[in-house]
Amino acid sequence: MIIDLRDYDPQEPVIGAVCIAGAGPAGITLALELANKGIDVVLMEAGGRTYEAETQALYEGEVTGDGNTDIASSRLRQFGGTTGHWTGLCAPLNPIDFEAREGVPHSGWPIGRSDLDPHYEVAQAYLQLGPFEYDFGKWQDRIDAPALPLDPDMVRNAAYQQSPPTRFADTYWDAIATSNQIRCFLHANLVDILLVDDAVGHFEFSTLEGKTVRVRAPQFVIACGGIENARILLNCRKQRADGIGNEYDLVGRYYMDHLNCETSAILFADEDVDLSLYDELLEIDGTDLSIGLKLPFEVMRRDALLNNTAFLVPEFEDATFNNDFRNHGWVSFSSMVKAFASGKKPDRFAENYCNAVEDTDAIAVGVYRHVMRRFLREGKTVAARLRQDAEQSPNPDSRVYLSDETDVFGWRKAGLDWQIASSDLDSLRRTHEHIGAAVGAAGLGRLQLGIPDPPDLDIVYTGYHHMGTTRMHDSPQNGVVDRNCKVHSVKNLYMAGSSVFPTCGTSNPTLTIVALAARLADHLIPNLTAELKT
Amino acid sequence: MGKITRRLALGVAGVAGLGAVAYGASLAACRFVPRNHPDFFALIATVPKDRATRHIGRAMVASGHAPADLGALAVRVSARPLIRTALATDCPTTRKRLVQDQCSADFAEGRMVSVDGWLLSETEAELCAAAWIAETQIA
Repeated sequence: MIIDLRDYDPQEPVIGAVCIAGAGPAGITLALELANKGIDVVLMEAGGRTYEAETQALYEGEVTGDGNTDIASSRLRQFGGTTGHWTGLCAPLNPIDFEAREGVPHSGWPIGRSDLDPHYEVAQAYLQLGPFEYDFGKWQDRIDAPALPLDPDMVRNAAYQQSPPTRFADTYWDAIATSNQIRCFLHANLVDILLVDDAVGHFEFSTLEGKTVRVRAPQFVIACGGIENARILLNCRKQRADGIGNEYDLVGRYYMDHLNCETSAILFADEDVDLSLYDELLEIDGTDLSIGLKLPFEVMRRDALLNNTAFLVPEFEDATFNNDFRNHGWVSFSSMVKAFASGKKPDRFAENYCNAVEDTDAIAVGVYRHVMRRFLREGKTVAARLRQDAEQSPNPDSRVYLSDETDVFGWRKAGLDWQIASSDLDSLRRTHEHIGAAVGAAGLGRLQLGIPDPPDLDIVYTGYHHMGTTRMHDSPQNGVVDRNCKVHSVKNLYMAGSSVFPTCGTSNPTLTIVALAARLADHLIPNLTAELKT
Repeated sequence: MGKITRRLALGVAGVAGLGAVAYGASLAACRFVPRNHPDFFALIATVPKDRATRHIGRAMVASGHAPADLGALAVRVSARPLIRTALATDCPTTRKRLVQDQCSADFAEGRMVSVDGWLLSETEAELCAAAWIAETQIA
C-alpha cells in the first residue's frame, strides 16, 4: 500500500514491525525482503513518486573540500532514491576489500566477502543482472572478442555486469503498492528520533506543509544515503548532545567517494589491435558485461596498493570512431531512440527529452558519426585511455558535517568536506605503472602516465558514490555500527546503505548496498518472527 | 656535347652492373667475416631517428638517468644478456628482435624509467640516450 502523507489523516501513531526511513535501493530491498517473510513494514519516503524540486532542494548544502564533487544533484530525494539516475554498472566488492590491509590505515571490515556472497546472489535479481559470476575466466569461453595477451601475474581481466539500469521507482512501485505487508508513505521527511532507554521509541515524520505522523516499531532502519544518513544522526541532538551514535565523533567522518578520472594512456605498437573486448558492452547469454584491467590481488597486497579497475577508452585515428560525444544529452537521446525502436514508451520521457534538447551539439556529432561509421572502415586505434573509479582510502578528515544553514524543518543542512590524500593518487599512478609494465612486457606498446608526481588532485572527479559516514566496526570507538549494521549505542536502530562501508574498494556500490540490505533483512527476521509469535 | 654511342651506353651499363654486383657480393661476403669488436652503433640503429628519440635521449641524460659518456653508456647497456647476444649477431632483423625482447624483459622485471610520463624500458631509453649522444658528438 502506498499512501501520500499529505492526504493522510493520522489519528494515532502508525505501528509496524519495522520502520524504514528512505525508499531507495536499500530501503525498498529491505522492505520487500521483510514483507516476503510476512513482516509488517512501514516504509517512509521524503519525496514523491517522481522528482519534485521543492523536496530535492532539501539536499542542497555547502561543499568546502575538494570542489570536483556535488551534494545537491548527485542524489535523488524521491521514491526509488538515486536509482532514478544511476548508470547501472555493477560488481561485488573483492575479498581484498574486506581485509585489514597493510598501508591502508583504518581498513578492514568485521565481515568478509563470504558473509555477503549469499546476499549478493539476492541482490543480482533485484538489479536485474545475470548470474552471480564475476570471474572473467568463467565467461571467457563464451566471449568471441580476444583478450590482450597480458601476463596474468601482472595484470588480469575483470568482469563487471551492467544493470538495465534498474529504476527502483518503476520496477518495484507495483510490488510495494500491492503488498499487504508494506505501508509506504510518500512526502514523509524524518524530523525527529525519540530515544527511550537507549532504544528508539518512535520516528517522527513531517510533510513540507507541516503535517506530522509518528511511527512506532520494535526495529528502526535509516536508509537515506551516504550523506543523509550522517546528517540525520548528527541533527538528532535533543537527547544526545553530539547526535545519535556519535559518542566517539565518528558520524560523518571517513567520507569516501570513488576517484573518477580518465588518465594515462596506452599507445599500441600495432594500430590494428583488437580492443573490442574492452570498449564495448558484451552481451553473453542475456547478461551485459564490461571488461576492465586489474592488478592481481597479491600485487596489491605486496605493494600496498589501493584497489582499481581500469577500463580502456580507445582513441581512433579517425575521430569518426571516437565516442567523446557521449554526454548526458546523448545518453538520454540514445535511450529514447532505443525505447521508441522497440515500441516502448521511453523511461522518464520529459527529463530525457530536455537533456537531449540541451545537448543538441553532442547529439548532432553522435548521429553524424554513427551514420558515417556505416560507410567508413574502422580507423586505426591510436591509443586507449584508462578510465576508472579508483578506491579512496578511508580518512577521518574527509567528512559530512552540519552547516549553519537550516532547512524548513529547522534541521541544519549538510556540508561536505571531501578530502583526497595525495597518497591515493600515488597509489593509482603505481597501479598504472604496473599496467604499463605488463603492456610493455607483452610487446603491445607503451603507457604514458597521466598522474604527475606529486599528483594533481584536480584530475579527480566524484564518482557520485557517497560512502563511509557511519562506518562498520566491531568496536564502538572505531565504528558507528556493528557488523549487523546496528548503531552501537542504540538497541534497535540500524543503518542501511553505503554509509556503513569501512572501505569502498573500486566496485560501484549499488550491488553491495542491496546485498547488505538483504543481509540486514536476514538478521532482523528471526528477532521479528519471535516477537510476532509472542 | 659528344654523341651517346652504343659503345658508351654499353660501357656505362657494364660499369654500373659490375658495381652493383661488387656491392652485393661484398655485403654477402661480409656476413661471414667475424668482427673483433662489439658494434654498439649497430644497436643504435634499432631506434628510430626521429624527434621523439632525440627528446627521450636528451631527457635521459639531462635527468641523470643515463651517463653523458657514450662509452660508459655502452658498457651499461651491453651488460644486459639479450643485448650481449644482439651485439654478437650481424642480422639486423634478429638484432632488432633481441632488443625488443630485452625491452620486454625489462618491463617484466620492473626495470623501467619514466620520461615525460612515458613509461619506458631502461634499455630502450638508454639506447635513445646513446643515439642522442652519438648524434650530438658527431655534429
